[in-house]
Amino acid sequence: MGSAPRPILEVSGLVKHYGGVRAVDGISFSVERGTITGLIGPNGAGKSTALNVICGFLPPDGGRVLLDGEDVTGQAMHRLARRGVVRTFQLARVFGGLTTIENLLVAAPGQRGESALGLLGGGRYWGKSENEVLGRAREMLGAFGMQDKADEYARNLSGGQKRAVETMRALMTRPKLLLLDEPMAGLSPSLSRQLEDMFLGLTREGLSLLLVEHSLDTVDRLCSKVVVMAQGKVLAEGRMSELRTRKEVQDAYVIG
Amino acid sequence: MGDPAADGLGAMGAWEFYLIVLLVYLGTDLLAAWGLNLEFGVTGVANLGYIVTIAAGAYAYVIFTLGSPAAAGDFQMYVGGFGLPFPVALAAGVVAGSVVGVLIGITGLKRLRQDYQAIAMLVVSLMAATVVSADTPFLNGNAGLVLLPNFAPLSDQDPEIQRWAYVGIVAVCCVIGYFVLRRFTTGPIGRTLRAVRDDEYAAAAIGKDVVLLRLMVQAAGGALGGLSGALLVGFIGGWSPGAWAYVETLALLTAVIVGGMGNDRGVSVGTFLIAILILQGVQFLNDVPELKALEAQFNRPALTQDLGWIVLGTLTILFIWFRPQGILPERRPKYGEVRG
Repeated sequence: MGSAPRPILEVSGLVKHYGGVRAVDGISFSVERGTITGLIGPNGAGKSTALNVICGFLPPDGGRVLLDGEDVTGQAMHRLARRGVVRTFQLARVFGGLTTIENLLVAAPGQRGESALGLLGGGRYWGKSENEVLGRAREMLGAFGMQDKADEYARNLSGGQKRAVETMRALMTRPKLLLLDEPMAGLSPSLSRQLEDMFLGLTREGLSLLLVEHSLDTVDRLCSKVVVMAQGKVLAEGRMSELRTRKEVQDAYVIG
Repeated sequence: MGDPAADGLGAMGAWEFYLIVLLVYLGTDLLAAWGLNLEFGVTGVANLGYIVTIAAGAYAYVIFTLGSPAAAGDFQMYVGGFGLPFPVALAAGVVAGSVVGVLIGITGLKRLRQDYQAIAMLVVSLMAATVVSADTPFLNGNAGLVLLPNFAPLSDQDPEIQRWAYVGIVAVCCVIGYFVLRRFTTGPIGRTLRAVRDDEYAAAAIGKDVVLLRLMVQAAGGALGGLSGALLVGFIGGWSPGAWAYVETLALLTAVIVGGMGNDRGVSVGTFLIAILILQGVQFLNDVPELKALEAQFNRPALTQDLGWIVLGTLTILFIWFRPQGILPERRPKYGEVRG
């Protein structure tokens, strides 16, 4: 092939302001294919806002977002999701009136039962595709150790379980690029380590991740590259081990 | 009810006629409540303008059935007047309800958040009623349209048989309507719609086109509303803005909330309770002399009707407080254990 593969995500000069506050102030970085990139920084640095703009949840006020080299700036969230960019939320959002397993089932892409033909044809048309999806969902629940919660309403789950459901749901879409906003918050240490292993395994299958995370240990273990944000700007970029020693990063974390 | 013979009821007794009326009301109310449940209970669109889809179906039926205004001596004004047969007029009602449902959807769903959609749709309902009332050449304004040609599939038959035949037609429409409804509320699409209801942002984040899904539901719910309106007007023979005040949506909404949001059977039970037992039941309070005396005392001629609305409002509040899932809660599907 010769040349290095293009990054899956390239962000350049991205701007988002709320009134006079420049929450994201011209940031640029990229996420390489099949890697985990960390996005860290003190509270209020603009990490979540950046994520919200990248995934199409909020319209940008400037800058560009390229996915696989294609300009997707400001595309609606559901369109980006169909192209493989799937995000989770800082406060886990589950479908409370659906059961845990339904939360997973609903996320499967290209379900026959969701189409106009599915409406006309009924169960005979979509039964087989539904069974496949069901198999995947049960497998996923098993991997997260939540089989016993399959038929529980998602609104009755604990905070950590909801977060796990959200992550499973995102994975059910078969994403290319996952944008995870603090996926480990509220998880038990053992599940959190398990999830780390799972993410690393998925990158070997070609999945790329952009991870907003507060636990620097997690970031250390997972991320080949870390982007440090402070006050809406990219402060530094590199490996976690290098960044730890840099003065401006330490200052940002202490002073905020 | 008066003397049956004088009302042209033929051999039918007054009670039999009343039963037929109630059955037609029940059928048309069921279709409407199912449509609203699909929109509100299943998909989370609080369409406070739902009655407009019913009105659209009714008016469409009227102008498709009536001949040209001039042919009837111009005693009422309206657009159209196609003089077409019953099935065509019924289909026109379905299409009109569906189109109006989508139009109502577009006003609220494109730009507004869930809480504001309800307000926008309520306003559409009020505006539609105002426009139809004020614009007399459009649909004869406040006076409404009357004197529909009698629907007579068995015109050589006794009126009793004709009316029972109409009940049969309503029943068939209900069966078809329920079948269509179940296609939307069960299976993968039902799951997706409920996901949209529970969290539209999370649904968008996994690739669901929330606006498109909701507009699709508006089309389907509106079609049910349109069918309901067309069938109703085909029976009662006239239609005016008084028949579709915005509060009528609230009666259906009460049926949905009391019966069980998102549960088609629950909503059917709720419709029977609210639309028939309570709203028709209060009519019998007219026979209570004490109430008549109160009416006179407060100079409030529609006291029994007011009582009906008070009961409805109270029920809605009580259910939202103490049993928000309704009489029959939404069913929880079991997928967990691997089935043979």
